Amino acid sequence: MTKSKFNRRQMIQRSAVGAMAVSAWQANIASQAATMRSQKTSCILLWMGGGPSHLDTWDPKPASANSGEAGSTQTAVTGVHISDRLPETAKVMQDICLLRAMHGPEGSHPRATYWAQTGYLPSASIKHPTIGAHVSHHIANLDTDLPAFIRIGGNRNLIGAGLLGVEHAPFSISNPNQPPANTLIQTTENRFSRRMGLLGKLEEDSMRQGAEHWTRANRKIYDKAAQMITSPLMEAFDFEQESVANRESYGTSDFAAGCLMARRLVESGVTFVEVSSNNWDTHFDNYERTTTLCGEVDRPYARLLADLKERGLLETTLVIWMGEFGRTPRINGRGGRDHYPRAYSLALAGCGVSGGQVIGATDSGGEDIVDRKTSVPDLLTTIYDKLGIDAFHENMSSIGRPIRVVENGSLIDDV
Amino acid sequence: MNISLLNRTLTFVLTFALVNILNSVPANGQAVLEVAAEVDRLIDSQTQPSSVNVCNDETYLRRLFLDLTGKTPSFDDILVFNLETHPEKRTKVAEVLLQDADYGTNWGRFWRDVIYYRRSNDQILLGASAAEEYFSNALNSNTPWDQIATDLITASGDIREDGRTALIAAQQGRPEETVSEISRIFLGIQIQCAQCHDHPTDRWKQEQFHELAAFFPRVAVRPQRDPRTFLVYAVDQIRFQPRSSNNRFIGTLEHRMPNFENPANPGPEVAPKFFINDQSLPLGTTDSDRRNALADWVTSTDNPWFAKATVNRVWAELVGEGFHEPVDDMGPDREAIAPEAFNYLATKFTESGYNMKWLLATIVSTQHYQLESRNRRPYDRLPFQANAVQPLRSDQLFDALMNSLQFPEMPDRAEQLVRRQFNQAFGYDPNNLREEISGTIPQALLMMNSQILARQITARPGSMLGNLLSEVDSDRQAIQELYLKTLSRRPNRKELATNQQYIQQVGNRAEAFEDILWALINSSEFKTRN
Repeated sequence: MTKSKFNRRQMIQRSAVGAMAVSAWQANIASQAATMRSQKTSCILLWMGGGPSHLDTWDPKPASANSGEAGSTQTAVTGVHISDRLPETAKVMQDICLLRAMHGPEGSHPRATYWAQTGYLPSASIKHPTIGAHVSHHIANLDTDLPAFIRIGGNRNLIGAGLLGVEHAPFSISNPNQPPANTLIQTTENRFSRRMGLLGKLEEDSMRQGAEHWTRANRKIYDKAAQMITSPLMEAFDFEQESVANRESYGTSDFAAGCLMARRLVESGVTFVEVSSNNWDTHFDNYERTTTLCGEVDRPYARLLADLKERGLLETTLVIWMGEFGRTPRINGRGGRDHYPRAYSLALAGCGVSGGQVIGATDSGGEDIVDRKTSVPDLLTTIYDKLGIDAFHENMSSIGRPIRVVENGSLIDDV
Repeated sequence: MNISLLNRTLTFVLTFALVNILNSVPANGQAVLEVAAEVDRLIDSQTQPSSVNVCNDETYLRRLFLDLTGKTPSFDDILVFNLETHPEKRTKVAEVLLQDADYGTNWGRFWRDVIYYRRSNDQILLGASAAEEYFSNALNSNTPWDQIATDLITASGDIREDGRTALIAAQQGRPEETVSEISRIFLGIQIQCAQCHDHPTDRWKQEQFHELAAFFPRVAVRPQRDPRTFLVYAVDQIRFQPRSSNNRFIGTLEHRMPNFENPANPGPEVAPKFFINDQSLPLGTTDSDRRNALADWVTSTDNPWFAKATVNRVWAELVGEGFHEPVDDMGPDREAIAPEAFNYLATKFTESGYNMKWLLATIVSTQHYQLESRNRRPYDRLPFQANAVQPLRSDQLFDALMNSLQFPEMPDRAEQLVRRQFNQAFGYDPNNLREEISGTIPQALLMMNSQILARQITARPGSMLGNLLSEVDSDRQAIQELYLKTLSRRPNRKELATNQQYIQQVGNRAEAFEDILWALINSSEFKTRN
């Protein structure tokens, strides 16, 4: 698969399964996907790694010296203004609920990312699961062919499944413009499954005492991988299946490709998709860089919401736009903004979220929260509530201590 | 090491002519076997003797090869080692391997990862191969560990040319991050927790952290073009001082302790002071004096943290479990597992003159290293009752594949490209707790489905399997050799029967053996070290 153009049909035809399977498989996609969709909520997390400046995105302060060159624009919702560099997003504001009073305790990327994705601070003995792992654990149908939790793009600071184990770990795709690597089997399907059988038998025979943990984990991963690559649902990764007009409507950035792939994956029954935009750490040249970043994110984000809506998926798909913290309202000596967990913004849409509203506010310079201060645990409690997950559920950690999905959070009213 | 290394040195082993560190007493130190026995005794007295057996020769040899050289033993190595009857052959073979250049390569990559997995920025990866090269050479020539630490603390220069700059480069010269890494790696202390506030559980104070950072304000890392690289350099005079130093293209003359309540205020200047011995330097001290003093104090034989941090990390890497975990978070007020054994081994390491080869030879000579391996213990079970099964680091896995499948010679550049694919899929931060490292679907896909491996497992003429099948007519013998080449052991009876049955079912010898080879390299056993 490294060089050949991705084509599932070609693979199936080359395999022993043959042409008959093709029609069966098309019917199968439709029915599997339909079953999935009928019962489940899904979630797309758009991760703004590095920490996006709230003044340059959701919480513009054109009257303040802090804003620099940044302006604001009226949105489709009267009275709600966002950055003038998010014009497409402004048009779908009726579907978006802004949280402008987020605050956090941590100012370093790894720790703040851990906090934002788990609601806990890093600890040596307990590995808390990221949002996607909890979602996979609670509401995904793990018998489906594709991984329940797919991460597109991403950076080193992102968190894994921790104590929930490998079944709930993200399947990571580094480049959304290509199908995932090594997914085309190198032999016939018959021989491939024969090999899998032999592998299973030999692992049993080896009787390595005390290595059961590794043998079991290997088995799980291989079964999952084999199920995935032989599935007709692999079409979800193939943009050739998408109309040219719709591909173009998302734009051309990697983030755009990630958003389109997220929609295709959710449509195919994947429960949680994370798409990253990674360069929001604008310590210098903040205005120029946030202009570029907004340009990469604006259209795909707006189009993703509209596309989901057109397909009837927005009602059951929660779309979260967030990063690990905000950025200093005061511009530094190099025209940049530094880390600022004290006040920042994020956006929620879909899955029953009441759009067209703003919850919380910062002061005139965007420096301090003046209304409805909201913490990450509050946010996570609300997210899990929308998805139908019990935030009070306790998982057992490896040191035998029960760990709640969220600790010390309360539902954010009105979302 | 494809042609048996042991074959070449067997005669020496048998005639005791090998120049070894086994029975020679290192300067102010003690012989390897004596110290190893005492460590075992002290551990047993503080936990309890293990009911797990010492592992067999095949397991030991594969473990030792992977741990010391990062490679698997060749077919011949295994046969020769099995035939050897010398009572101290396990320690002797370790000494042979420590003289092999693969030792430095393997551990050089390990230390590169220890530093570079904590990089603050991906551009700085430009310096990673110089770091690997520096460590590799220094370890092969057995440069004492205090000299290596001094090199890393006092380095300046082009990060692509001089690997000693690795630690500073990986943190882009930012004083707080750089000293946090020095403390973490060389002292096993996570002092950065005191960066913003007094440490909640440890006794170090915010001020002490910034006093440590004050050894580094004059150092900066500056990007260069043509060729694209970064320079680690220090200045003692600064004409133009930018207001904030977040990008550190220019250093500052003195470190200031920020006030988080009032970020606009630059905060007071702080003079360098080392929190372990409370020695300090006045404001205005030159960069070179600052960093040399810090290196002296960190590596001083009066500073027990220095030897302990290294002993703990190396022990954990080899035995699978540290005296303290995570390996780089030892204190100050935490209890080690088997503290007497830990203190004793750290003291002996200090007395050896921070001799890394001596430390490795000693640890692999302990019974605790040589016990059979088991899954990582749950927290409530007794420690050090077995060696722990470890996932191979990506370079070890790739080398094991190249060895087992006898990859044809590749140009360096081509090999790097393939190695990089393995590093991306299988690489992990060696600073993290090993239980957090889990398999992933992309790893499985790379092993089961990549073109590069698919090509190497075919029975075509000239391939490892092709040669084996044309040379060996007996299926039984061919199966045995395949096991030795991949898992470094003979198959048990069940495995033999399953494979023989499989060959019959498939009805095509070459195809069946390709499938067997595929299954062996995809087994959990191949991807771990027992």
